[in-house]
Amino acid sequence: MSFFEVLKSEAKAVFSDVAIVLTIIGGVVLYAFLYPQPYIKESVSEIKVSVVDLDKTQLSRKVIFELNSTPTIDVYRVDLSIKDAKEALLSGVVKGVVVIPADFNKDILLNKSPTVFVGGNAGYFLIFGGVVEGAMKSVLSLGASFKVANLLKQQIPMGEAKELYSPYSADFIELFNPQNSYTQYVIPAVFVLILQQTMLIGLGILGGGINERIKKGERGYFSEASPLQLIFSKVTIFVFVFFIHLMFYFGFSFEFFGILHLANLQNLLIFSTLFLFASAFFGIFIGLLFGSREIATPVVLFSSLPLVFSAGFVWPLEALPEFIRYISLLFPSTPAIDGFLKINQMGADFSSVLIQCRVLILHICVYFTLSYVLLYIQRRRRVVS
Amino acid sequence: MFDAFLTAFVQEMASIKKSVYKILLVSVLPLLCFGMVIAIFEGGVLRGLPIAVVDNDNSTLSRKLLFNIQSSPTVDIKYHPTSMKEASSLLRSSEVYAIVVIDNNFMKNVLLQKHPKVSVMLNTQYILIGKILKSSLMSTIMSSSAEVEYVKKLTTLQNPHFVINSISPIKLDIAALFNTNQNYFLFLVPPLVFSIWQIFIVVATIVSFGTMFKNTQEKKFFEGGFVKMKILGKLTPYTVIYFLHGVLFLFYMYRFLGWEFQGSFGVVLFSMFLTVVAYEGMALLFFVTGFDYARSLSLGAVYTAPAFAFLGVTFPTISMNSFALFWRDMLPVSYFVELEISQANYGLGISYEITKLLCILAFWIVFIPVFYRFQKRVLV
Repeated sequence: MSFFEVLKSEAKAVFSDVAIVLTIIGGVVLYAFLYPQPYIKESVSEIKVSVVDLDKTQLSRKVIFELNSTPTIDVYRVDLSIKDAKEALLSGVVKGVVVIPADFNKDILLNKSPTVFVGGNAGYFLIFGGVVEGAMKSVLSLGASFKVANLLKQQIPMGEAKELYSPYSADFIELFNPQNSYTQYVIPAVFVLILQQTMLIGLGILGGGINERIKKGERGYFSEASPLQLIFSKVTIFVFVFFIHLMFYFGFSFEFFGILHLANLQNLLIFSTLFLFASAFFGIFIGLLFGSREIATPVVLFSSLPLVFSAGFVWPLEALPEFIRYISLLFPSTPAIDGFLKINQMGADFSSVLIQCRVLILHICVYFTLSYVLLYIQRRRRVVS
Repeated sequence: MFDAFLTAFVQEMASIKKSVYKILLVSVLPLLCFGMVIAIFEGGVLRGLPIAVVDNDNSTLSRKLLFNIQSSPTVDIKYHPTSMKEASSLLRSSEVYAIVVIDNNFMKNVLLQKHPKVSVMLNTQYILIGKILKSSLMSTIMSSSAEVEYVKKLTTLQNPHFVINSISPIKLDIAALFNTNQNYFLFLVPPLVFSIWQIFIVVATIVSFGTMFKNTQEKKFFEGGFVKMKILGKLTPYTVIYFLHGVLFLFYMYRFLGWEFQGSFGVVLFSMFLTVVAYEGMALLFFVTGFDYARSLSLGAVYTAPAFAFLGVTFPTISMNSFALFWRDMLPVSYFVELEISQANYGLGISYEITKLLCILAFWIVFIPVFYRFQKRVLV
């Protein structure tokens, strides 16, 4: 059989299989829409908070006003007792509580530093962080304004007083994702994983199906073509299809969801090509191991969440146990997510993703060799029998 | 009638025993996945996040500040690059997550009361890491600055108590209610484990019915009627097994590891049972669309795979759009995880949980079309 004939039969096997088409075309397109949905609003704002005002002075009302004017907090209700606020928090009506103590105004004037209590449900981190951030911003800036006022009382001019209120301070410059957008955080990484997983499922169903047919004693292009022809016909089809998907994901989808893309086209293409080939060889290899069509989907599905969380972008690599790092490095998605984030989200030089490239090249070599050996053994066995 | 249930149950148990794949699905594979997630977050709190410092001042004051930064357990000063160019390439390649820059004449400007600023460049692409680093560095720098102010004012004002109050006119007492030690293990592991758990329930159900139809044994299985009873009997081994997986995990979390559990285990276990059956119903609903094994698996994959993102644990529900909230409502696990969190963290009163229980129970309605489709299919 010529390579072109094998390719034709392979393409027919792939595109006439509803389950494969549903995954590698329907699934890929659907996920591009579905996965970003929770994060469309990008960041957390207007968290409902209850304020318990035990002071009831003009100043405490000013605190409430300041709290309400921060983007993260919405003062949803003002309670008269801590008990009411607690109930509202427990039933989930509000997500945080701020308590302004009695004699708040008086204590400030007496220079007694009253304490404002801020509490939130830390079972949900982003909400808790938002409440704390808003409270810190408003209450501390109010505190700073008192310091400035005190300095003014000591006949120090305003401009100087503003600078004097502390010896030095911090100036935070947030880079790469300054809006703290969740879309920007999750989607670039998850998209890489989706591409790999759908490719693995597609190749897994295909490989498992062929193994089933061989077991039944059927003959076809898969029993006639050489191992090299079989490997490269699959690689050609899948890399081609997923190259289009990848362009769609990193091009159209990124643009659509307003995600940064800093890499230049050439670097992106080189890195993407390595990633696609590594995933394709890996998929062919695992396809050879599956005894039936239906094993691929579940197995790949189970691996998704552990893979996301061991890729290093949520939970840093420094904090992962060694053996998890080694297991996760068997999958092309791990170096790929790392590399794509560096070149595309942070604008790193290509030289800083050379390690990731090497791992992907290693994947290509190892999974190609393993696939070749397995196909060769399969063929020998058939010839012998 | 009960005989039909029992026969189906016994047959399914026997078929599990015979198939290596089914045995893996109900034992090793889920345990392996849960174990992976547990291992990933084993540490629970982040320590020693690498940062770089560019100290252009190199004075006693700047060294004191850096010493304070290094003493915080969250950060680890890993590099001392000499130029900003070098530092920024460390940041871009994620060798470090932040750069602290101290300008020259820092100490001099402090003494001259010029209020210099310490710049911190922070990588916020990794939001979680960025937030943790920011709050840690911010509090270190603020308290180091207050330290300087304290010493300075002590020389003029003398009364230490008065000095402290004049440094911060209003104090903040920030209390993390419920998850008091702010541990990520407690925060992420249960929702992640239950997100994987629901995938297993759906997959195992489809595998069980799918292999039967693929091997054309369904006519023989449903021979003699009692279709509903036989379906329930066939499901029961999985109901029991995945319920036990859930119990095992809860036992591991709250008894073996000893995390605090404030509420009622009874409510959690009851809702867990409701959830298992709800997912079996959803799995069968996918299956009866065409009684096609591979295709129903694909549908099950689309349905269960993204669940974690929609739970509202990492990204809160208050910021989700209506489509995301709709999709979330269509997943039994979102009610279950919400209930599990509220029971574990603050033992919410049962009366508050009834709506969640009813929502999970509502998924049982899918058994009506499922039974109907099966009866039409096998009793012709």
